[in-house]
Amino acid sequence: MFRSMFKKTYTKINDAGEKHIKSGVPEGMWRKCVKCLSPVYAEGVRNNYYICPKCGGYFRVHAYRRIEMICDKGSFEEWNKVMPVSNPLQFPGYEEKIAEAKLKSKLDEAVVTGKACIDGIPVVIAACDARFLMSSMGHNVGEKITYALERAADEKLPVIIYSCSGGARMQEGIVSLMQMAKTSAAVKKLHEAGQLYISFLTDPTTGGVTASFAMLGDIILAEPKALIGFAGPRVIAQTIGTKLPEGFQRAEFLLEHGFVDAIVERKDQKAVLGNILKTFKNRERCSKAAGTVKCNESSIKDKSFIPDDSPGFSSKKGKSGDNLADYLRKDKAAYTQKAASYGHNDIKDGLVAGKLKKINEIVRIRSGKVRSDKSAWESVLISRKKDRLTAKDYIDEMFSDFFELHGDRYFADDKAIIGGTAFFNKKPVMVIGQQKGKNLKENKLRNFGMPSPEGYRKVIRLMKLAEAFKLPVICFVDTPGAFCGIEAEERGQGEAIARCLYEAGDLKTPVLSIVIGEGGSGGALAMAVANEVWMLEHAIYSILSPEGFASILYKDAAKCKEAAQDMRITSADLLNLGIIEKIIPEKKPVCMDNIDEIISYLGFELEKWINKYSIMSKEELVKQRYERYRKF
Amino acid sequence: MFHKILIANRGEIAVRIIRACRQMGIKSVAVFSEADRESLHAMLADEALCIGPARSDKSYLDIERILSAAEASGADAIHPGFGFLSENASFAKYCNECNIKFIGPSSDIISRMGDKSAARETMKNAGIPVTPGGKGVLREADEALLEAGRIGYPVMIKAALGGGGKGMRISRSDEDFTENFMNARREALNGFSDDSMYIEKYIENPRHIEIQILADEHGNVIHLGERDCSLQRRHQKVLEESPCIAIDADLRERIGEAAVKAAKACGYVNAGTIEFLLDKDKNFYFMEMNTRIQVEHPVTEMVTGIDIVKEQIRIAAGMPLRFKQQDVKITGHAIECRINAENPEKNFMPSPGRITNLHIPGGNGIRVDAHIYNGYKVPSNYDSMLLKLIVHGDDRQEAIAKMRSALGEIVIEGPDTNIDFEYDIINNEAYQNGDIDTGFIERFMQL
Repeated sequence: MFRSMFKKTYTKINDAGEKHIKSGVPEGMWRKCVKCLSPVYAEGVRNNYYICPKCGGYFRVHAYRRIEMICDKGSFEEWNKVMPVSNPLQFPGYEEKIAEAKLKSKLDEAVVTGKACIDGIPVVIAACDARFLMSSMGHNVGEKITYALERAADEKLPVIIYSCSGGARMQEGIVSLMQMAKTSAAVKKLHEAGQLYISFLTDPTTGGVTASFAMLGDIILAEPKALIGFAGPRVIAQTIGTKLPEGFQRAEFLLEHGFVDAIVERKDQKAVLGNILKTFKNRERCSKAAGTVKCNESSIKDKSFIPDDSPGFSSKKGKSGDNLADYLRKDKAAYTQKAASYGHNDIKDGLVAGKLKKINEIVRIRSGKVRSDKSAWESVLISRKKDRLTAKDYIDEMFSDFFELHGDRYFADDKAIIGGTAFFNKKPVMVIGQQKGKNLKENKLRNFGMPSPEGYRKVIRLMKLAEAFKLPVICFVDTPGAFCGIEAEERGQGEAIARCLYEAGDLKTPVLSIVIGEGGSGGALAMAVANEVWMLEHAIYSILSPEGFASILYKDAAKCKEAAQDMRITSADLLNLGIIEKIIPEKKPVCMDNIDEIISYLGFELEKWINKYSIMSKEELVKQRYERYRKF
Repeated sequence: MFHKILIANRGEIAVRIIRACRQMGIKSVAVFSEADRESLHAMLADEALCIGPARSDKSYLDIERILSAAEASGADAIHPGFGFLSENASFAKYCNECNIKFIGPSSDIISRMGDKSAARETMKNAGIPVTPGGKGVLREADEALLEAGRIGYPVMIKAALGGGGKGMRISRSDEDFTENFMNARREALNGFSDDSMYIEKYIENPRHIEIQILADEHGNVIHLGERDCSLQRRHQKVLEESPCIAIDADLRERIGEAAVKAAKACGYVNAGTIEFLLDKDKNFYFMEMNTRIQVEHPVTEMVTGIDIVKEQIRIAAGMPLRFKQQDVKITGHAIECRINAENPEKNFMPSPGRITNLHIPGGNGIRVDAHIYNGYKVPSNYDSMLLKLIVHGDDRQEAIAKMRSALGEIVIEGPDTNIDFEYDIINNEAYQNGDIDTGFIERFMQL
């Protein structure tokens, strides 16, 4: 508009004599993001965990940078840095190609292995580097990985492998193929030695590496959007002649399909790995520790930790009261101390008064004076209430550092079941829960708490992982029943539940199941084969829903109230039948408003339970569980 | 001196800088987004490059695109204006690495002054008065209570990661301290997952005073007196003036000296502003330092006769200051009103759109810094400032009379504006009496 109208006013400067430094962008200051194609600052990328500050795309990380990012500073000690070049087929031009890759990447091979510390915990680490012949696996890569796994087994160290590979190295032909068997066997050896293996999949992990050590982790983690698969996407698209869906073979796709435990962003990786290592630290695997831990009565000095076997409602006076009093005294002291740290008398008094009120309430309930004043049908309705606490509520409130592990490693991740490691009073445990939603949207995601076969297969996987590392398993049962549908039958719902009963029956680690809401039939029992089963006062546990029962036996679904009564599905009934060991009293039906009360009580009981069972040998645990069900 | 300066900004300030370049005989390069193709700065500059779409993160905030434009045009300096990248330490650093002079302080100073607690610490060590505050992070109420007693009530309780009033409480005595502290801490924990708290002296209804300083690369630092920017709505300045009527020659000298000392303490170079709170008893406390040209710089220019933007360019070119402190004389009184495209009736909602009719006042002591013209379409993507109306009179009374006349004359049709809002302030008796502090606008709006 005005552009051509404004007169120019600048003066031509004669600077013949003046020295001018040419301005411009220096070499290496910018890089191009391979994902969004924008220029980005090399330094900005480096300071941002090698993530594009513009599009969030992940750059591939060099092996040594990777180790630097994950391990404690200066703790890395490299193994087998230089190895003689292997060219088993005498493939023409291969050695030149290796020499060129070495020069270009300044690496000796496509993988760097060694020993380091993460949060002070010693670990064997391997990191693949895509700059070296696409990190393909030939003899030397396989050898370095195998050696690292073997040495970890010998030295009793956990292993972390950051995978990244185009697959087997073609130039080494069939010898490359053999690396898959060799590395897989070494993973098994590490497993037998009772050591944890964390496989971290990065972009891209494909071919023979996916089909060997990369997919064999006790825990498999992945970086966001990493390409992970056996056959490459282009090959698949060409073979089947169709366009592949968006996100196919990406980390998120694998998570959904049950092959990855979690996707972890770079900024969180060190913390997450540290937490996992801490969880699985120094816990001899049962296979190795056979018979080493025996229950020895005389070794238990503090008898107050041995709880009475009598459940809450029918509690006899005496010992249990003392235990509780001890606990409460301890608890009160802790609270007084905590309150004192706030330094304000009103608050201190307020906190302590509130806590004491709660404690008195618990004593009142424990003394057996309270009985449920609700009918069976009322309990049915309460157990199904929308605001009833779900498994996740208990997990969040009672445990710390919950790290959810996903997937069954076969088909999918069932969101009706959540599970993972967590800490209870600083002790690592495995928690698994059937998860209902609190609104329609969440319920659709959680399938209304009705697990599919993949959910039960996830339960088995997590239980076996807990068994291997001797973590107590705590299950929260809350399901109307196993999912009833065509897909569930196609994938073997019955087989999955049966397998749960089969494996849980023989699990060589303590198992506790707590029915928190609905305990619906076989779908609930699959997670209630335990050393002890507890119930919340208004939870129910039955062979069938009262509605279903009424329609089958009374030929009238409307008679569900009577059915509920006759079926004996309330906590009090089940305690009398010997189906459960303990009732967790609900003064008012549990919800978010009174969560503190129930958590404080449950926490007290759980601590006693863990102390009691963690000193039992695996034989005793299995025997006790076997007999518990043998008697019915 | 520079051959060519790229102006990494838009709107009124870009025009202001281009004009300074034109007057100095320096070639100017404008960068503009697709939404600003018809903007005055893009037309007035000697060269103009489009650097991307309307979204500022893909244009005016995109360091790579701006440096590419600088390289393509062969500019040897960049003026960042205010806002956008003006206080981005990385940008200053990258300019330096590309041998392009950043017209402003070094990257190091920007990052040090950008970290509020580090800046406070620097100033405290240099002997500049800062608002009495706690020793640092506090988490426990009893510890904080002792600290509050030491500082003296009223105190402000703030979350370390706080913002938007969350995790912020004012406590007036021991009685209400603990409750306020616990509430603020709970808010902080819920809001920011961090319960690190600070407490500092709460200064009631202070004036917001700022000192303009100029510092060259040769260690010379001078100040150009103060501006009173107490009239703010939600931390947005509405009207500024210089000098501040609460400051006499003696106090001006003391605050000015403190500001010069502060600038020297951090090795400051180029134009900068040091903000202070001035309480009822004429105590002043360092708040923060702005390492850029300010929106309200014209009021200082009017009363000192010094063109701050030109001085910025001279300083960046390595030239020594042309003035000594004794050369700086404050003459008369200047007031600036920010005229924005916004509707005060609708909670100051921005009102972009085409300007259908425009009349700009003029005459003795009336200055308008603007980038708008008749037919210009105000884009919705950026801030809503249309122009700055600045008046200069012999004294405050005359300045008020000039502002009243000019505000009464200005015509902007099309977008809604805050002209009437400013007009009402100027006509307000309390304002005319100079009875102003940071709570003024809030009280005024309740009338």
